[in-house]
Amino acid sequence: MNKETSITATAIALAATTVSTAADAVAVNDLVAKIKSTDDAVRGPAWQGAGPVGAPAVAPLADVMSDVNFEIARSAKRAIEKIVRHAGRPGAIGERKAVAGELTRLLRHANANVRRHAVWMLSEIGDDDAVAPMAELLSDSDVREDARCALTRVPGAKAAGALKQAMATAPEEFKYALAESLRARGEEAPGYPSRKLVPTKQTKVKSQDKP
Amino acid sequence: MTTNRIHRRGFLQRSGAAVLGASTIALPQILPARVLGAAFTQPTPKDRLNIAHIGVGGMGNGHLGYMLARQSRGEVNVVAVCDVDEKRLGAAVKSTGGKATPYRDYRYILERKDVDAVVIATPDHWHACQTVHACQTGKHVYVEKPACCTIEEGKAMIRAAHENKMCVQVGSQGRSQREAFLAHQYIANGMIGKVHTVKCWHYATPSDDSPVADSEPPAELDWDLWLGPLPWRPYNARYLHGVFRWLLESGGGQIRDRGAHVMSNALHFMNADHTGPVSIETKGRIPTRGLWDSAIEMEVVYQFRSPDWTLIWAQPGEMVPYFDRDRVKREGIRESYGAVYHGDKDKPVVWVGDGQVYTEKKAVDFQKPAGGVDVPKSPRFDHHEDWFEGIKTGRKTIMNVEGGVATAFLCVLGNLSLIVNRKLAWDPVRQEIIGDEAARRLMSRPQRFPYVL
Repeated sequence: MNKETSITATAIALAATTVSTAADAVAVNDLVAKIKSTDDAVRGPAWQGAGPVGAPAVAPLADVMSDVNFEIARSAKRAIEKIVRHAGRPGAIGERKAVAGELTRLLRHANANVRRHAVWMLSEIGDDDAVAPMAELLSDSDVREDARCALTRVPGAKAAGALKQAMATAPEEFKYALAESLRARGEEAPGYPSRKLVPTKQTKVKSQDKP
Repeated sequence: MTTNRIHRRGFLQRSGAAVLGASTIALPQILPARVLGAAFTQPTPKDRLNIAHIGVGGMGNGHLGYMLARQSRGEVNVVAVCDVDEKRLGAAVKSTGGKATPYRDYRYILERKDVDAVVIATPDHWHACQTVHACQTGKHVYVEKPACCTIEEGKAMIRAAHENKMCVQVGSQGRSQREAFLAHQYIANGMIGKVHTVKCWHYATPSDDSPVADSEPPAELDWDLWLGPLPWRPYNARYLHGVFRWLLESGGGQIRDRGAHVMSNALHFMNADHTGPVSIETKGRIPTRGLWDSAIEMEVVYQFRSPDWTLIWAQPGEMVPYFDRDRVKREGIRESYGAVYHGDKDKPVVWVGDGQVYTEKKAVDFQKPAGGVDVPKSPRFDHHEDWFEGIKTGRKTIMNVEGGVATAFLCVLGNLSLIVNRKLAWDPVRQEIIGDEAARRLMSRPQRFPYVL
């Protein structure tokens, strides 16, 4: 390829990227506008068809999850799920990484519900790159239990390592939960036996024999 | 839907009443696990199984009524009842004459050495944990269908039952029905030739057309315990009671609620409990609003290999009216779900599939020839009785844990294919989704501490 050809190719690629970005923006704006509709007939098909809109829609949709209209907020949440499941299809590596990248950014969102949803979504498509940001949430008291569950589902040594590492600094009570994650992954967690069979909740209902 | 629930409960109550009325029939003496191996000649009250009921609303209330009928004949002792809803719990205690000990937390029951067996009729998301924990603490289990919500849960249930040698019966009671036995016998004896397709039909899953905002849970409900293994979220009145079936996490729609009956019979008749499909493809329509997210209409195509056959779950599918209209009126037959078994010689119909099962006259009238194929038969066509006999003899029950899990896997995979919106490939030997990492991860759902498998 000579220099002139290379410059032309670069220009075409840049133009294509610009057109693509503009198209993305139109699609995202259209999707978000429809998701904000109070009309089920508009909003419903929008969130159900959100999958192909992909990564660019993730952050705008996350903001809509705070909408005061619970149906609109729920639709935004479900639209993100559609995007994640679409991006998770076999062979769509680039899309999956792009969506995972957007979800990773949401782990620092001000709304705990958004952080919670993002970490669960990453449990479905996140790879090693997502593990460290997910593990940071193990010290977030609002969502640490969700982060623990999510990391339990991410395969690989890095996720297991993050759970082990958290055992060193976690509050004592939370260590029992982390230990369950490690056991679920086939790891040992000495000193923190399972509490799954320990009853804790008393009823106020009385039987005749034991008033 | 309300009609159906009452109907199924009514079946259990009628069964209990029938048992009471049949006091002259000799029944097998049940030997509790705690006295197995002990020598005794005269049954005494302490030799009866001590039963605890976990979940006493809806179907759980029906099971409790059945066991109380048996208790009144001196066959079992209902020693404990458990529910996370104090109103339901109070009503259950009252129905036992105040004799059973009430619990909110089922784990207190598991601590009791005198409890031999538990009947679990909680929302679906609790079935696996409670079954595994009961097996691990030495209790036999009758658990409502569907057996499990995830592939991981199902595998854990089988492992726990085997490792602890506990008898687990899953509540797809259709397998125990008389006409299910007759249909099975007809098919197994080659009367319809090689079966190539089983087409199920069932009416649609309801949608939440009046969604409500999250709110504080009612005072009588322990919301944390109701959620159990599910991720924490605020209470919403659309989660319970009964309607938990219409959420994917806690129920999964008609394909799980009734698929666990109709497809249970299909696996049973096809002798396919230990197999599974190689592919699953679902198309469906999910609600556009509301909390309930299970498909309203759907069609799932399961392809089996060696032998090759196709199972189709269709909501609504093609309903076949029951042939005897007088019987429909007389017995209240619900024709709105069932299956057609397409063989290369015939295509008999099996209607309903749970507390009632009906089939065509030719199957009912069929006489098995000498040397013909025997098919499993529950004692007195009673699903609970089959469980008791399984406990007593150690033989596999008609809807044992493997069959229950195999059926639940069909339901789970049908929904998973719709969730990810693509065809799934399944390894029926390893029991794993193959070639799709994101879908594979959905074979499990990490559980909220401390409510874990």
